[in-house]
Amino acid sequence: MSDSEYAIELRHISKHFGSVVANKDINLTLRKGEILALLGENGSGKTTLMNMLSGIYKPDAGSIYIDGEKTLISSPEDALKAGIGMVHQHFKLINVFSAADNILIGSSKGSETHALLRKSRYSQVNQIIHDFGFELDSRKIVANMSVSEKQTLEIVKVLYYGAKTIILDEPTAVLTVQETRKLFEVLKKMKEQGHSIIIITHKLNEVMEISDRVAILRKGQYITTVNTSETTEKELTELMMGRKVDLEIERPIVEKTAPVLEIRNLSVKSDEGNIALDDVSFYLRGGEILGVAGIAGSGQKELCEAMAGLRKIERGVVLHKGENIAGASPEEIIAKGVTMSFVPEDRLGMGLAPSLSIADNVILKKYKQSKGFLLDKKRGAREAQEIIDKLEIVAPSVETPVRKLSGGNVQKVLLGREIAIDPNVIVTAYPVRGLDINSSYAVYDILNQQKKTGVGILFVGEDLDVMLALCDKIMVLCHGKLMGVVHASKASKEEIGLMMTGALNTVHQKRGKTAGIAKDSAIVEDEIIYQEEEVNV
Amino acid sequence: MSQQEPLEVKGLRKQINRGKNSLAKQFHLVRKSRMKLWQNALYILIGVVVALAIGAAILTSLDISAIDYYSDMFTIGLVGNAYPERAIENFLVSYVPLLITSLALALSFKMRFWNIGGEGQFLIGALTSAVIAIKFPGLNPYLMLLLMSVVAMLCSGVTGLAIARLKTKYNTNETLATLMINYIALYVVTFFGETKADWNFFLRTDSERPKFTSFTKMPFVEIGDFHLQISVLVTLLIATGIWFYLRYTKQGYEISVIGDSRRTATYAGMNVKRITLRTMFTSAALIGLAGAFTASSSGCISTNITNNVGWTGIIVAWLSKLSIPGIVLSSFLITILQFGCRSASSLYPSIDSHFADLLQGLILFAVLAADFFANYKVVRIMSAGEKQEEQHEDKKEVES
Repeated sequence: MSDSEYAIELRHISKHFGSVVANKDINLTLRKGEILALLGENGSGKTTLMNMLSGIYKPDAGSIYIDGEKTLISSPEDALKAGIGMVHQHFKLINVFSAADNILIGSSKGSETHALLRKSRYSQVNQIIHDFGFELDSRKIVANMSVSEKQTLEIVKVLYYGAKTIILDEPTAVLTVQETRKLFEVLKKMKEQGHSIIIITHKLNEVMEISDRVAILRKGQYITTVNTSETTEKELTELMMGRKVDLEIERPIVEKTAPVLEIRNLSVKSDEGNIALDDVSFYLRGGEILGVAGIAGSGQKELCEAMAGLRKIERGVVLHKGENIAGASPEEIIAKGVTMSFVPEDRLGMGLAPSLSIADNVILKKYKQSKGFLLDKKRGAREAQEIIDKLEIVAPSVETPVRKLSGGNVQKVLLGREIAIDPNVIVTAYPVRGLDINSSYAVYDILNQQKKTGVGILFVGEDLDVMLALCDKIMVLCHGKLMGVVHASKASKEEIGLMMTGALNTVHQKRGKTAGIAKDSAIVEDEIIYQEEEVNV
Repeated sequence: MSQQEPLEVKGLRKQINRGKNSLAKQFHLVRKSRMKLWQNALYILIGVVVALAIGAAILTSLDISAIDYYSDMFTIGLVGNAYPERAIENFLVSYVPLLITSLALALSFKMRFWNIGGEGQFLIGALTSAVIAIKFPGLNPYLMLLLMSVVAMLCSGVTGLAIARLKTKYNTNETLATLMINYIALYVVTFFGETKADWNFFLRTDSERPKFTSFTKMPFVEIGDFHLQISVLVTLLIATGIWFYLRYTKQGYEISVIGDSRRTATYAGMNVKRITLRTMFTSAALIGLAGAFTASSSGCISTNITNNVGWTGIIVAWLSKLSIPGIVLSSFLITILQFGCRSASSLYPSIDSHFADLLQGLILFAVLAADFFANYKVVRIMSAGEKQEEQHEDKKEVES
């Protein structure tokens, strides 16, 4: 053991991918027993840098010092030996195994892999979990765990392997407010025990709350490291962006129309055949943004897919301007002016064809409109250029493949296309997922502009602060059930957090009014029964 | 490391570990930025030269002049031939089936439908078109060719359709299904070549040994002494057609979108199942057509009529990165290679035609390796003071 001040020191680290410079000459230090927040916009090279520390990538140049000693890390195994453990954004767990087995199977010590099949392993692992100060049942199968439990397991895993330094890549993105608070308590405890922690996050309030120092990257370059106690959110943003920005999210007041979309008693199944949405009712007016809040996997994806005609509706009514569209094909729903854009975790999976050009992607929902056998390439190119100009997309040309664009520009292409078909309902899920502040605000602006033109917007989001600022109303889902609809201007984060975990249900709270059912509903009660029968047939 | 281990063993293991690690630590692969077309071509050229050099070494060891052999090979037997026209005709006869098959495979690969049943679909086309040729002798040659083509395309296309249907309905693995059809088709042809039952109209009655009967040949256009087979013209039309289809039509666009992201295609309201069926039918039907053309130009069928185009076509399609002009070019070059190897080996009795196969294999392998090096480069990790570090380590070890 050396008595170096730093647990980790990076000197002149560079990494290129082809002609793209991901990291350029980065110097970074992590003190022993501190929590360092790593802050930067998308594409600033945070994850690449951390992947080099955890042995997934190898640096092209530069050196890594651990405990003052120069170390070469060329595999995750090396990283582990050097005492570095990373908790990835997407968990690396085996779904059908118990917590104990997930921990033991990755153990490099021979004696412990022998414990794999013994019954005593559960009590052993329980002891370890307890010693670290966590709450988790070692017998529980990963598939039955909540996101928060899985994350705890990941942390226990790296601690068990002997990690002194723990890297967390956007750990709070998938957690509720309460779960985040719990995680932070755990992190503080780990810090007290002498562990050093690097946390990657986009959320400035969390940075301010948890970290001791903040290191900032911009466009692959190291900018500076500041003490958290001596800085402000505003200053951090400016360092990150390289210029001044306004952090207010606008919520324009628009005159609302009659409901454009009314959902009544909607039930939908998940891919595995479980009930994903259970008897959900809500409505959406033109000129309003209705937020959908919930822990990841509470039925958001299934809701979006049901709206777009991609998922079978088991029961219920989806009324679009007075016409039931439950059971209509995706094509018919697109033709009615209902657009859905879902940004999945990998950000390219749905809605875009990554290898095709921007022009070809822009024409995706319209290509059948032109007459004849041929594809209207000119129209694609023209409309792509319009979207590029209007949304200030950075792209060499309309022929550039979408996968070569940065995350923010990809999402702008997606939203731009959805808006270009003149929708009256926009269903959008995680449109700012993984986007940096600048691009996120551009997306909020786009949505607000649509709202002003009288479009109804269903906004499935992750960040409660953003939803409270942007949305007019927020509906909360928990395990596929509606927990209530609140006015964003009157609700608090804590209230919504409680509803997300199912601890609070306000659907029938107000006398004489059920949440999710419009006063001026176009649905007559008789009609529901009639339509339900029709759907069932 | 356990403590009982003798010191020497410990040292040895350390050395081994260090040797292993240092190699892995010092070099790693980095993806290159996109190459220009001529750079890519240059790499492939270098690959071919390397393969030819190895071939030359083998030839020299057998006392054959490599220069003579290669010059015979690359002139595909044109020089010193009394009938060079025939050589070109025969060359085109080999080129046509490979080109059509590669194009057809590219069509399904573009949709990420792994049709590796080129061989089987080819045989089905050849066999069914031969039925027409034998059963209706004396038809007008153009009408005959048309009829043979249509029947071959339908039969082979329906096979492809069936496999696609299994895929869309039960999500079976198309790679396995198409692969298995290869063997079924092969054994069906073998069966017809062997069973001497009275109903077997494929066999010649005047021969003692089972032997396929021959039939009318492909019509051709005479240009002086040169006989241009109709199939060559049709094939070039098909190549242009497919290029246009993939690039400018809605259906071609649908194929690209599905190949890129099936979910996106569904989301955009495309009927993925129907498009899969349609495309796989087209792909299999075209390969069947290649079979019909080959049966017609050789005037006979056999089990080795495919000349492995079902397999070579996969290589051609991937080497060309599924680009249609690329396929036209690379299947041309590969045919020169194959055809040249064959005609050269016939001139050198001391080595049999297996050398031609060997050389072909070498060249294809070298080309694939060249393709790899065109896309990746090997990089040494650079860091200042690495050497001192190693020396330092050595010292420590000596001390221990």
